[in-house]
Amino acid sequence: MPPVSEQSSDADLLRAIAAGQTAALRLLHHRHAGWLRARLRRRCADPDVVDAAIQDTFVAVWKDAHRFAETTADPAAWLWTIAVRRLVSALRGPAHRWLSGPAADVPDDARTVPSAEELVLLGVEHGALGPALDRLSPELRRLIEATALDGLTVREAAQLLGIPEGTAKTRLMRARTRLRQLLA
Amino acid sequence: MNDWHIDAGLLGEYERGELDPSRAMAVEAHMQACPPCRSSIRVDFTWLTGNWSVVYDHVHAPKAGPGHRLLRRLGLPEHRIRLLTATPALRWSWLAATVTVLGLAVAAAWLLRSGAGGAVLATSFLILAPVLPVVAVSGAYGPPADPMHEITGTTPSAGPALVLWRAISVIGVAMTMAATAGVLLPGPGWFAVAWLLPALLLCTGTLALATALALPVAAATLGGLWLAGVLAASRLVHGEPFLSVVFGPTAQLGYLAAAVAAAAVLILRRRRFDLGASR
Repeated sequence: MPPVSEQSSDADLLRAIAAGQTAALRLLHHRHAGWLRARLRRRCADPDVVDAAIQDTFVAVWKDAHRFAETTADPAAWLWTIAVRRLVSALRGPAHRWLSGPAADVPDDARTVPSAEELVLLGVEHGALGPALDRLSPELRRLIEATALDGLTVREAAQLLGIPEGTAKTRLMRARTRLRQLLA
Repeated sequence: MNDWHIDAGLLGEYERGELDPSRAMAVEAHMQACPPCRSSIRVDFTWLTGNWSVVYDHVHAPKAGPGHRLLRRLGLPEHRIRLLTATPALRWSWLAATVTVLGLAVAAAWLLRSGAGGAVLATSFLILAPVLPVVAVSGAYGPPADPMHEITGTTPSAGPALVLWRAISVIGVAMTMAATAGVLLPGPGWFAVAWLLPALLLCTGTLALATALALPVAAATLGGLWLAGVLAASRLVHGEPFLSVVFGPTAQLGYLAAAVAAAAVLILRRRRFDLGASR
């Protein structure tokens, strides 16, 4: 296993982490903690919970780096999937769960949404999707965001937003109908 | 479409939360796919190193050893396990010393089996075996044995509970090893168990006496009393009768009764444990 440096790719870093190199985990953390934090903070107002979710994420990466499937997934998307699920499970506990939880929610290969960027970006920058999304009521929009952009399941999205799963399902359906109307 | 990137103004608005929801979503979707835009987010270095240090500590946290896992299997709470397994530095020297002593006793007894020396050795095993756990207990707590005592003494867990937990752990190990040696020893089968009640008496007695004296003093007093008493008895009666006097059924009943009395004293006076301070 060659030594890693600032220039190593994320996949190389993950391979080195799987081989037990702490330096690689440090590089990965310094490279990704910033944007993960910025993005998580839009979903949770408590900075302590966000910080703990990020720490939890990299501890999970340390334990499960070998489960990252290089061929199918993008490292950043994989990290985000772990991070947002860690945030959900931190918000779900009776008291906030800190480190040392079970690593059951690390996906074998992240369900990256390759079309999400193009879809949202194209739609928002050049099409009618932007105004349509803005005109959606906030609670409906947050569900669309959690499921389409964050890659969460409806159940996880419900936990993130603190609403019952049934409510989340109805709202998601209403949101889709409403978007269709607005885009028509 | 890849020529579109997040510029500084847009990024600033995103970080301050001033963007329209849809544009914030677009920024996030783009960020996920574009490493240069991801790295353009400014990160507070103090925060970054602080966050990393927690991850680092957790990654380097000591792993649970086999003893730790065994105790957890037995259902002990985590903080007790930590307490019992926290001093590995002293453990090995003490274990090695006890194993060596008992091993030598067993080996010598087998070598001298044919002669009269074997009986003497077996007898001396019976006499010394009850003292071993007491020696272990005397080193379990207090200033001479525990270099960390000054610090330990200021913690809320110090006092009777800690003495008892440590005593139980060392007694458990010492008893197991002595019992193994007793089984390996040549001679009548009851040799292997005859020393158990005296050992119980000496241990509970030491702990009971420790409510009035310092722990090492209590251990030395009772251990000395036991040795002196047995030696005196061996002067009075010789050979096989001696063993039946000291380890016979009547004597065993007496040990049991005394041990129960000592335990009662220990329970009644548990608040007055000597915490290693000189009185």
